[in-house]
Amino acid sequence: MSLRTYRTFQALILAALGVFFLHKIWSGTLFWYINQRFMALTLIAALGFLALAQSVLQSRRENPDHDHADEHHHHAHAPAFPAWTLVVVALPVLLGVLIPAKPLGSSAIANRGVNTTAPLTAGAAQPARLDIAPTDRTILDWIRAFNYASDPKSLEGQPADVIGFVYHDSRLTGEQFLAGRFTVNCCVADAMAIGVIVQWPDSKGLADNGWVRVRGSVQAAEVDGRPIPLIIAESVDPVSPPEQPYLYP
Amino acid sequence: MSRFGRTILIFALALGAVLAWLALGQLANTGPLTGFVDQLATFTTIFLGIFIEAAPFLLLGTLASGIVEVYVNKDDLARLIPRDPIRGAIVGAVMGVFFPVCECGVVPLTRKLFTKGLPLSAGVAFLLAAPVFNPIVIASTIAAFGVGKILYLRLGLTLVISTLTGLIFSAQRHPEQLLAPSALMPTSDSSLPSSAVLDGAQAGGGGESGGGEGESRPTLRDGIPQVLTVAVDEFFEMGRYLILGALLAALMQVIVPRSALLAVSAGPVISVLALIALAVILSVCSTVDAFIALAFAGTFTTGSITAFLVFGPMVDIKSTLMFLGVFKRRAVVYLILLPLVMTILASVFINLNTTW
Repeated sequence: MSLRTYRTFQALILAALGVFFLHKIWSGTLFWYINQRFMALTLIAALGFLALAQSVLQSRRENPDHDHADEHHHHAHAPAFPAWTLVVVALPVLLGVLIPAKPLGSSAIANRGVNTTAPLTAGAAQPARLDIAPTDRTILDWIRAFNYASDPKSLEGQPADVIGFVYHDSRLTGEQFLAGRFTVNCCVADAMAIGVIVQWPDSKGLADNGWVRVRGSVQAAEVDGRPIPLIIAESVDPVSPPEQPYLYP
Repeated sequence: MSRFGRTILIFALALGAVLAWLALGQLANTGPLTGFVDQLATFTTIFLGIFIEAAPFLLLGTLASGIVEVYVNKDDLARLIPRDPIRGAIVGAVMGVFFPVCECGVVPLTRKLFTKGLPLSAGVAFLLAAPVFNPIVIASTIAAFGVGKILYLRLGLTLVISTLTGLIFSAQRHPEQLLAPSALMPTSDSSLPSSAVLDGAQAGGGGESGGGEGESRPTLRDGIPQVLTVAVDEFFEMGRYLILGALLAALMQVIVPRSALLAVSAGPVISVLALIALAVILSVCSTVDAFIALAFAGTFTTGSITAFLVFGPMVDIKSTLMFLGVFKRRAVVYLILLPLVMTILASVFINLNTTW
């Protein structure tokens, strides 16, 4: 491959990466991959890719002489830039386009397990978020509230209104299921599943991975000696997946 | 076929074998391929997550590398970095404070510094320590754990381990035995310019490029196109390792049951090994790993948390592959084993000797 062709491919791939990132941001699916606080960085990277693509094209146009001299260099160092480099660097775009995008779901739980108690953040730094109205609390907020409350019993009877995906854990009874969410600190590579136990007579009728809105009242339960919330459901309604599928601790 | 070409072929075959294995397992279990498609989607999501997260940091590193290539010359480095290996290693280890790069960006930058004559001890120490000795990472560690034992242990152990590893590397008198050709300083008797300089202004005739008295520093304005050209080539060279590493990490996440790793949180030795394995598999950026370690703070031993925060930024799947662009394979093995052994020893010592 001549250096000129190589440069053309470089520019194409950089531009494709830039457009790919911009499309992820534009369509909102960026949050299926990373924590929302990295959105600005991703935008900068997208613009950086486009700027680099532009600079490659520019240097091709402005330095026709160089290209001639470079052919010489290129032959001397052909192994440094084999074609597979281009293929590998294009992989994120190729995989992203070929394989339908999907946020993590129950299938990812299988080898992670679900956490019903983990503190997720240092106790001192993040006091229980009791200033949030009970019906506005997410699954994460409820787990935290119980984890840090000095008297979990005091939270009993509060109304809950949460959204999560259905997960049937083998440790639960037939009338219970887990309403789960993934928490993402950085990117989905560090995703952890958390869940609240929901008491619902028709639990068996709910399909794994479907999203539901659970309304009911909260009771205190215990796992390994740690207090956890348990929702006695009054209604469980199927809903469409939220735009931001993960929670950010 | 080149060495890397072979590596890739083996990699592709392994990938295919694992995917086939997953598919067969699913077929046996559930009949239709839905499970496999689910796994494939999960794999792709995790892979893209790691890549999208790392891309801005890699770009930053390649730009820094381009700036070093164009605006920094040998004499500047010789003036700033002590030749003596001990002081060189210490300076290298704390140099990261001035280069806010994490483990993706540090690799191209270190390679470029090597081509400018950075001593081996300083370069190795910089490579290992910069992802921790870095304002952003120190700030995120403080945000997660506060100013206390974990912060001190993380900084202290990183300093000691990276300095010692740098010193051990400096015992090798001939850097060309350890460094990949593209990381070697161009000399006048070799016509090998740094591979990244394919069409920069320095690519005149090869001999003098990258150093020597004849080198003139371009003005800030004139140098920019050249900085960008170097950055593009570095991005492709390092990006391919990053991407292969991210693929491998995503694959490990789909195969290795994480719940098994997290089940052993108490033993003084086994907890350290478990969190080191987790750090390697997760391959997350050092700028945020403190928040992830926080999730284990309640249950895991202090030593194991320290090991996660010290070893993770030095070595993980994606950075290991990127090392191959800077060092020869034998050197990469040492670069992984030395910090690994030291981290395990120190962390187990912490577990056995503290009552915190």
